[in-house]
Amino acid sequence: MIKRGKGMACMWYPIGFTVAANASAATVKVNTDGTATVLTGTVETGQGALTVLGQIAAQTLGIATDDVHVVSADTDSTPMDTGAIASRTTYVTGNAIVLAAEKAREILFEAAAPLLNVRPEQLEAVDKKIRVLSFPDRFLPIDKVVAHAENTLGKPSIGSASYNPPTVEMDPETGQGKPFNAYVYATQIADVEVDDETGEVEVKKITAVHDCGTPINPMLVEGQIQGGISMGVGFALQEEILFKDGTQINPNLTNYIMPTSLDMPELEVELVDNYDPTGPFGAKGAGEPTAVPTAAAIMNAIYDAVGVRITNLPATAEKVLAAIQEKNKAVA
Amino acid sequence: MKVEITVNGEKKIADVSPETTLLKMLRDEFDLTGAKLGCDVGDCGTCTVVVDGESVNSCLMLAARASGSEVLTIEGLATFQKLHPVQQKFEDLGALQCGYCGPGMIMSAKNLLDKNKSPSVDEIRDALAGNLCRCTGYTKMIEAIQEAAKEINTTNAL
Repeated sequence: MIKRGKGMACMWYPIGFTVAANASAATVKVNTDGTATVLTGTVETGQGALTVLGQIAAQTLGIATDDVHVVSADTDSTPMDTGAIASRTTYVTGNAIVLAAEKAREILFEAAAPLLNVRPEQLEAVDKKIRVLSFPDRFLPIDKVVAHAENTLGKPSIGSASYNPPTVEMDPETGQGKPFNAYVYATQIADVEVDDETGEVEVKKITAVHDCGTPINPMLVEGQIQGGISMGVGFALQEEILFKDGTQINPNLTNYIMPTSLDMPELEVELVDNYDPTGPFGAKGAGEPTAVPTAAAIMNAIYDAVGVRITNLPATAEKVLAAIQEKNKAVA
Repeated sequence: MKVEITVNGEKKIADVSPETTLLKMLRDEFDLTGAKLGCDVGDCGTCTVVVDGESVNSCLMLAARASGSEVLTIEGLATFQKLHPVQQKFEDLGALQCGYCGPGMIMSAKNLLDKNKSPSVDEIRDALAGNLCRCTGYTKMIEAIQEAAKEINTTNAL
């Protein structure tokens, strides 16, 4: 008989390394055509990092994302970055890019201030303009300001900066300290169907609600979460590296089973409206935490459906059926 | 041995050894590197191309077997002016992440839409079942294929 169940799991997850240094450095230069170039050592692995980093630079400089050229991951020419690990790119590399872009912007504010008869701190960079705060009609186009700074004043608009999340080492005796500078939170809910005669589990739906701070690019965050859930579904029900005499016996996709389009349930993703003042424009991160609560939620849903606790993953049909039979024996 | 096929509307001839797969011929003889070599045993689907109207794992098909066939690869979808609607919607909706499964995924989707103008979600899932994706959870791909179907139907109705 098919039994339905619902399970929930909550998690927190840190951004960046535990206490250890994990710096990112960045260089931002604004060009005389009003575009900008970002140099970053981090790498795009499909998560959309370079899009997000380009958006962060664009927002800081008041230009369009399409006008930002991101040069990445070339040890000959780009500054040091700890890398696309520890769910840290948006937060740590993003903060480095904000700091670098602010330095480049400051040069533009100083160049534009005398021309607009104000002090540099009375200026803002928006809509490809350097503009007087609260006086939208008093502005200079950003490309003209770059050219003026570069060619007349001899001060090219460029900035380099680095960011390393501030942490406090944990006291070995009390365990007190500040291992991370930012944390993300999430809850996922799984709806499953379990066949109590075969032990087969089908995940029908995962509802995922994540706090990533203010998402820089909600579409990409949603994609990250959906992908993380697919990894969580595989972790929960299918994926297992099998060894025999020290050798992996399923080193290919024929018998290392991962979710296909037929295994993936309906996904509903929501982002919590939040703002982290330590992150770039309020953002924290997505990355690894997207996969953290999925398997736990599915195991809780299996318990809700058929009353058995699976504590050894993946919860294959064999394992679930054995647990159901064990339970029935105990009852009888 | 000599193999003569039509690839993306163009007649092509190659002299290959008998064990050469269609994928190897496309990549090494014709420089069509869109179809990818993934698992090389027909599990992952990133080598998917369309042969005479059927989507196939080109890593499993011998080049000789494709002799005389019409083969469509990912390179045959877009023009310099315009992406194919499936490609455009994949881009618009952020349906690919690392992108390695992309060429095969898009060919499977394109072949589905050639045969079924308004597929249901289940029919789309079924059509993509031979194409593995590690990054996305497939959700945005399914949405993109539905959007592409709508666009193709609207364009055809005009």
